[in-house]
Amino acid sequence: MANARMGKGSGKLLLLAPALIIIGLTTIYPLSNSFLLSFQSWKLSQSQTPAGFVGLANYIRAFQDPYFLNSVIVTLLFTVISVSMTIVLGLGIALILFKANRFNTLVRATLIFPYAVSAALKGYSWRFMLMPEYGIYHVMIGTLFPFLKDTVWLAEPGWALFWLATSEVWGWAPLYALMFIGALGSISPEIWEAAKVDGAKSAQVFFRITLPMLAPVVIVATLLKTIFSLKLFDQVVTMTNGGPGRATQTLNFYVYQQGFRFLDMGYASALAYLLLIGLGIFAYLYVKVLYGRQGV
Amino acid sequence: MNTRPQISAVPPKRPHSRHLSREIGEKALTAAVLFFVMFPILWLILTAFKPENEVYTTSFIFKPTLDNFITIFTEPFNNQRLVLNSLIIATTATLITVPVALGAAYVFSRYHFRGSQLLMVLVLVTQFIPPLVIALPFFNLFRRIGLYDSHAGLVIVYLSIVVPYAIWMLKGFIDALPIEIEQAASVDGCTEIGILRHITLPLVMPGVITTAVFAFIMCWNEFTYALILTRNDARTLQLGLMSTVGVRGILWELMAATGLIVMIPVFILSFSVRKYFVQGLTMGAVK
Repeated sequence: MANARMGKGSGKLLLLAPALIIIGLTTIYPLSNSFLLSFQSWKLSQSQTPAGFVGLANYIRAFQDPYFLNSVIVTLLFTVISVSMTIVLGLGIALILFKANRFNTLVRATLIFPYAVSAALKGYSWRFMLMPEYGIYHVMIGTLFPFLKDTVWLAEPGWALFWLATSEVWGWAPLYALMFIGALGSISPEIWEAAKVDGAKSAQVFFRITLPMLAPVVIVATLLKTIFSLKLFDQVVTMTNGGPGRATQTLNFYVYQQGFRFLDMGYASALAYLLLIGLGIFAYLYVKVLYGRQGV
Repeated sequence: MNTRPQISAVPPKRPHSRHLSREIGEKALTAAVLFFVMFPILWLILTAFKPENEVYTTSFIFKPTLDNFITIFTEPFNNQRLVLNSLIIATTATLITVPVALGAAYVFSRYHFRGSQLLMVLVLVTQFIPPLVIALPFFNLFRRIGLYDSHAGLVIVYLSIVVPYAIWMLKGFIDALPIEIEQAASVDGCTEIGILRHITLPLVMPGVITTAVFAFIMCWNEFTYALILTRNDARTLQLGLMSTVGVRGILWELMAATGLIVMIPVFILSFSVRKYFVQGLTMGAVK
């Protein structure tokens, strides 16, 4: 709308070019390069250059590879657990802290800190707290629930995945709470008052009024969290290293193993591309929701 | 007859006590949130100051020591090298990103040309590319051209995440500025670059600083690329966390001390831009 009235010199291109060149070189180059690699056979341990095109062999191998299928399941499980926990806890924290008083305001200020902890450090610090004998959460849980006293949390497949998700939820739920508090603040208080006057119960108010009004924000938050969950990698390295067995071997971690432990560049590229396609679906939904809402 | 005043005297009291117990319940919930959010951080800080013999207990009371910090900054850990690497890489990437992204964000915000919408969306979706797709080709390329394990190599790869992010952040800030002053300047014959430099930039400075802070934090906290693309010379502090893994397992007191060095600058920076934190996370999708 502004372009008609403002200059149309070459300045525009000059301003845009550096960014486009950088993005082009740092994303389009690797994207196309790994796309080509995914159709080639290249074991870095045997040769410094690709050994030639093998068609769809890497992709066919992926669908016959039980460890790949395992990592898909692990990734999906992790995503479902961590996304639902993040949204539910985020909403819960937001509702608890929404009421303005001094204690709540103080606690609200702390909500940004877990997110500021790097993923690698998150993984190590939760692993530390879950260690048998001296891990503080291990001890606390054992004291509260004596029958769980001897559980070695990260040595049991189901629990390891659960705690991996929890460490991730710890980083995100408080931040999402902050986001939801902002959204709650934009709901006019009269709506709640009217509902109360009409004798609505708290649960009714939440499910019939609050949640529907938060829906747009919750949808964006869910999609965003889903995308980041599907990419999980750092904490897997520092918290569980994919174990016990392959119980927490996420797709990204499996790609890493194929590429940098087994040095199978072709196969790793194909796997990475499969992940990219999966993420693409959610990225598409995210963009659609975002733009659909703004009416652009 | 004389019971009436008593009856009317009771009701005001009961809501009051119910009110009180409700308030206690609310305070308890808030306290639970505080525990959930801050306890892991508190425990890490405590552990960093614990003497070695207290680390493998759950004690809260101990004689604090700085030994762990001395250890991580001396042979063989020498984390000061990693701190320096992290600072160099994150600062360089940020300094390149901010002006580059500002130019692009300005154009995206102020001009609507054919395909600008699509270009914006493409910039956004680069954020969703799994890092391994980027890392594999760069690993091979860098080994060929000698950028593996170098500051420059890591800076280049970090630009791939930070530049698109910064464009979206800055666009949000520029969108919020009134366009009229720029239009007046344009009528007076200013070029786009002139307008951006003399009119828009001073107005959008808080946004520029916020974006720079987020860009720095992203690079400082980055782990995947650093793990794959460095070995020795360019190792960043995030990888220093891993070097505390020895033959006896992880030396938790050293991990905690390193973790504190990792964490504290980010806490200070985050707190300084806390107003924009939600906006920063969603790249302006939710304000």
